[in-house]
Amino acid sequence: MSFKKSQWGTLATAILVGGLFLSGCAPRAATAVPESGAGITAAPEVEEPEGATAGESQVVIVIPEDPPNFNASLSDTGYDALVMELVMLGLADLDPEGNIFPELAAELPTVENGGVITDEENGTMDVTWNLRPDITWSDGTPVSSDDVIFTYEALIDPELGSWTQGIDYVDGIEKVDVDTFIVHYNTIYPGYLYQFGGEQMAIWPAHYCDAAQGFSQWECAQKPLSNGPYLLEEWIVGDHLTFVRNPNYYEKGKPVIDKIIVRIVPDSSVRKTMLINGDADLDMWTTEGMLHDLKDEPNVEISTSPNNRWVMRLFLNLAARGTTDPAATPHPILSDVRVRKAIRMAINVEELSKEIFLGYSKPIWTEFFREPYICNIPQPKYDPEAAKALLEEAGWSDQDGDGVRECHGCQAASEGDLMEMELITYAEYGELLELTQQLIGEMLGEIGMKLNLTIMEGSVMWATSAEGGIEQTGNFDINLWDDGFFGNNPTDFLWELYHSASAEPDMGWNVGRWINPEFDTLLEQSYTLDETVRKDLFCQMATILDEEVPVILLFSAVNAEAHSARLQGVQSTINDLVTWNAADWTLK
Amino acid sequence: MTESFSSKKRTETLSGMIWKRFWKHPGAVGGSIVLGALVLAVLLAGLSPYDPQKSDLGSRFEPPSWAHPMGTDALGRDLLTRVLYGGRISLLVGFSVVIIALLIGVPVGAVAGYFGGWVDNLLMRIPDTALALPSLLVLILLAAILRELDAPLLEKNPVLTIAGVIGILSWMFVARLVRATYLSIREMDFVTAGRTLGASDFRIIVRHILPNAIGPIIVENTLEIGYAILEESGLSFLGFGIQPPTPSWGNLLSNAQEHMTKHPWMAIFPGIMIFLAVISINYIGDGLRDAFDPYKVMTKSE
Amino acid sequence: MGQYVIRRLLQAVPLLLLVSILLFILVNIAPGGPLAGRGQTKHIRPEQAEILKRQYGLDKPLAVRYVFWLIGNDWTKVDNDGDGVAESYGQSKGILRGDFGTSYRTRRPVLETIGDYLPNTIYLMTITLIIVALLAIPVGVISAVKQYSIFDITVTTLSFMGQAIPEFWLGLILILVFYAWLKNPFTGGPLLPAGGMYTIGAPFSVWDWGKHLILPVVMGSVGWVTWYSRFLRSSMLDVIHQDYIRTARAKGLTEKRTLFIHALRNALLPLVTIFALDLPYIVAGSLYVEIIFSWPGMGRLYYQAAMDRDYPLLMAILIIGTAVVILSNLLADIVYAILDPRIHYD
Repeated sequence: MSFKKSQWGTLATAILVGGLFLSGCAPRAATAVPESGAGITAAPEVEEPEGATAGESQVVIVIPEDPPNFNASLSDTGYDALVMELVMLGLADLDPEGNIFPELAAELPTVENGGVITDEENGTMDVTWNLRPDITWSDGTPVSSDDVIFTYEALIDPELGSWTQGIDYVDGIEKVDVDTFIVHYNTIYPGYLYQFGGEQMAIWPAHYCDAAQGFSQWECAQKPLSNGPYLLEEWIVGDHLTFVRNPNYYEKGKPVIDKIIVRIVPDSSVRKTMLINGDADLDMWTTEGMLHDLKDEPNVEISTSPNNRWVMRLFLNLAARGTTDPAATPHPILSDVRVRKAIRMAINVEELSKEIFLGYSKPIWTEFFREPYICNIPQPKYDPEAAKALLEEAGWSDQDGDGVRECHGCQAASEGDLMEMELITYAEYGELLELTQQLIGEMLGEIGMKLNLTIMEGSVMWATSAEGGIEQTGNFDINLWDDGFFGNNPTDFLWELYHSASAEPDMGWNVGRWINPEFDTLLEQSYTLDETVRKDLFCQMATILDEEVPVILLFSAVNAEAHSARLQGVQSTINDLVTWNAADWTLK
Repeated sequence: MTESFSSKKRTETLSGMIWKRFWKHPGAVGGSIVLGALVLAVLLAGLSPYDPQKSDLGSRFEPPSWAHPMGTDALGRDLLTRVLYGGRISLLVGFSVVIIALLIGVPVGAVAGYFGGWVDNLLMRIPDTALALPSLLVLILLAAILRELDAPLLEKNPVLTIAGVIGILSWMFVARLVRATYLSIREMDFVTAGRTLGASDFRIIVRHILPNAIGPIIVENTLEIGYAILEESGLSFLGFGIQPPTPSWGNLLSNAQEHMTKHPWMAIFPGIMIFLAVISINYIGDGLRDAFDPYKVMTKSE
Repeated sequence: MGQYVIRRLLQAVPLLLLVSILLFILVNIAPGGPLAGRGQTKHIRPEQAEILKRQYGLDKPLAVRYVFWLIGNDWTKVDNDGDGVAESYGQSKGILRGDFGTSYRTRRPVLETIGDYLPNTIYLMTITLIIVALLAIPVGVISAVKQYSIFDITVTTLSFMGQAIPEFWLGLILILVFYAWLKNPFTGGPLLPAGGMYTIGAPFSVWDWGKHLILPVVMGSVGWVTWYSRFLRSSMLDVIHQDYIRTARAKGLTEKRTLFIHALRNALLPLVTIFALDLPYIVAGSLYVEIIFSWPGMGRLYYQAAMDRDYPLLMAILIIGTAVVILSNLLADIVYAILDPRIHYD
């Protein structure tokens, strides 16, 4: 008996000792930080429990998941761009109003200052950039044209590269001297100024990144060499990233705040509570519901972008479900433009934006709603009665009195078919979009359309056609999600969404398969630097979109960030991540 | 043992005894009353003057009042109505999980236990394999797969999908339990006697052994109903549960998370429902266990 | 005994293979894919998608992919540059040789990523399990010995209540109460931290780490304490009514000695088995605890990999999880054999 007892005792001891041993091991999770010679501030010895030494200023940004890495050209998560903005620079960047300002560039090349030379005859253009001579990587190496060329070549590598908007228009980059290079374009590309900058791209150090590993996979995207305002000090994967100020940052006297900690806090209500309690200083991409809860908190302020970018919209499939050719297999219900207009008339957008989105959004009905391109398109009226009449006219009526219309002489469906469709939205946006979906379902129910509601993961909705992505394969009726463009050049965005070339599976997001040759021509012509011509072309396009209703625009989603009252200088922007001006932030 | 042939009478007296013992267990009685009331309320959800899905934007986020005893939700819908309809879904998920687990687990366990030998070896590899899966991890994976799957039975049937996901990961315990019971019972005299009298294997499995094995099966699976309701709410929290606008206790509770500070009633009431349902099911399970427990008698006689 | 262990380990090999095939199919038939969506860019060109598919090996049939995943592809020529000709040997060694591949999302080796998260989970779950055992055993024993006493009834009620609260909800309430509402009377700050493993930037201190452990451990252990103590209570009741205990009593052994030496030992046997079967949680972690308390653990890593369709990472976690489940089963049997003299394996 006692022998057995001692064995039980041994086992218990073993478990205990094992536990202690393991707990001792636990903190070993840091990703090493680059050994970047001079310039890095030594990790400060910290005494206070709050994590900051006396006199050292520190802010905490909370985000729900780890950034994949520091290369925002590779993915869409936004978290990579958030941290990229802290450590990396591009040639130029955009401010919240859409004005472009130089970062690595000494000045912005334009036609006027001779930096841009266009060849209207051949439709090509050359852009000459000059880099500031005084910017160095944190190991002391100056940033040079070699870095730009290195980055471009790594990006376009067919095997290990990636793709960014407008990169196909670049034929090559030619080095002139250590600070000067010429970008050769095979078209006149209006978005040239922030193509190698903005939120989507940074210039990478040629002497530090390993070209053999490739743009999409190199390790320097996890342990970046900084030329931006901050240096990565440590990255405890899944927990936090610590950044310390770059003492050699090119803007003298900046950044002001010594330390930025990016903490991973997955649960949104915990992030909210941390903001209220002062343990978090900034929440990225704060949702409307959270803004509503935080707006009366004394410790919390809200920064809203001066412009709107993301427009919640309904993508209408003009081709029959599961097909991609609207001419051969038209959608039985949505291929009729009268039905599309009726849907637009039946949705009370004012109510959705005011009630559900708590007044943080406003109705939008055209892609050209913000500077520099505003087109005067009248706001569609909310008029369910007119919508019903239009449906009657289109041959959809409810003759059996069950509240759902059937086809009686309609354009593309068989006689007697029910007006029943699926309305899909994606889960990640959260409760407000689900409520919006339910209300739209009800509103369309009022005019005799039956909508079955589905919520799915974004990765299923937007997957490639080979992976069975429901949009690329055309396997949907109406989808609800938000899209929009940053900056001040809408051409690439319009191409992705409305050009007939983007209706091909995997070629873009014209997933409603709307084919309009007239629109295509106008869009192709808008690739010019002549602003008067562009304005005129865009408004012609706006009129076509308004008449044809390939996509129903509803309202803008808010672009705002909640931050602690002590943190000053935060400016939410649609053109970049909130860290775009982290160097200017101060503490009260 | 002559009574094996008149086993009907035997089970009757046994079940009578169990029945009596069950109703002497205060927790079980309380649990049964609460659960009964919940089931009744949920069945009567249709009497509510409100539509569970129709929005009323004029009365969003109203606190509890006479018109709305549990307040209203983010779309101005009466929360009581939604909680009652949600209860239908949640309880249905709970019961469906058990039915699915029994439908798979009992036949597998019974055949394996009754025949033994290579049949047993072969059949029990299936639950062994399934038990080797890390369950929560696979649960998430299955929920993601089945939700998007266009299978004829599962499509448009979220209850069956969710119940299927949970059930497919819980039948193994049933199978093991049933197998063990069959292994021990099949050697008993009345089974051997039945066999010599020429009863078919099927008849013996179903008519002779099953009634004797049913006790522990019932006890274990009562508790499973509660687990299933909790698991559905956990899946809802992760976004894999029953999809709105169809209410379930789980998605009502997890959707209320955002509103917890300002509109706490949205969380409190669905929370209380889950709490009451699970706790009463646990008490019922406890009572059943005691009722089926032979030692209980001895305790009393001491 | 040694022979038995070896035999069991050998039996585990085909089981593990079978499960891995099953999981591989499950992971790959999940709708959506790694090329688009959250992890990858939404704006992906067909050419680029083709290249990625080839790099990830997704252009091969499922069976080939499985074989490559299992034993690698460095023994056969594969098409590395996309010209349709298999010209050079592959680089993957396969999991049998310890190569779990590279995560699609982070482009880092899978094992490295798991190595970042695993210690955090082991740390939290080990402490949780120890607390669970320390609480559940006395509670279970006392409520069995004093069956239907006030203590038993109270504990039963409490444990049923603990079990009836959805785990994630319990966590949110804990944060609300101990982080948002209750204040530390000395500093005026929150009583307990909202999450994380330690105060970022602060030097290591046991107090700081311990403070961060309290709420996650409470949240993670409530369900377990209930389940273990209920289990122990009923197996203790079983044992108390066994003949040999009655004999011991009849022999005039003291009540305490009877209960704590004879009865508890035997009642603990099945509990040890259950405990061993729960060991996989030490590796898999608890997703809900990790989400709510911002704990960088395996549950969250897995969840994110599942959402990203990060196949190599997903498979690695699943297969490690499975191996641990199988080993724990074996461990349960061995422990049982050691503790119970009546059982002999050969």
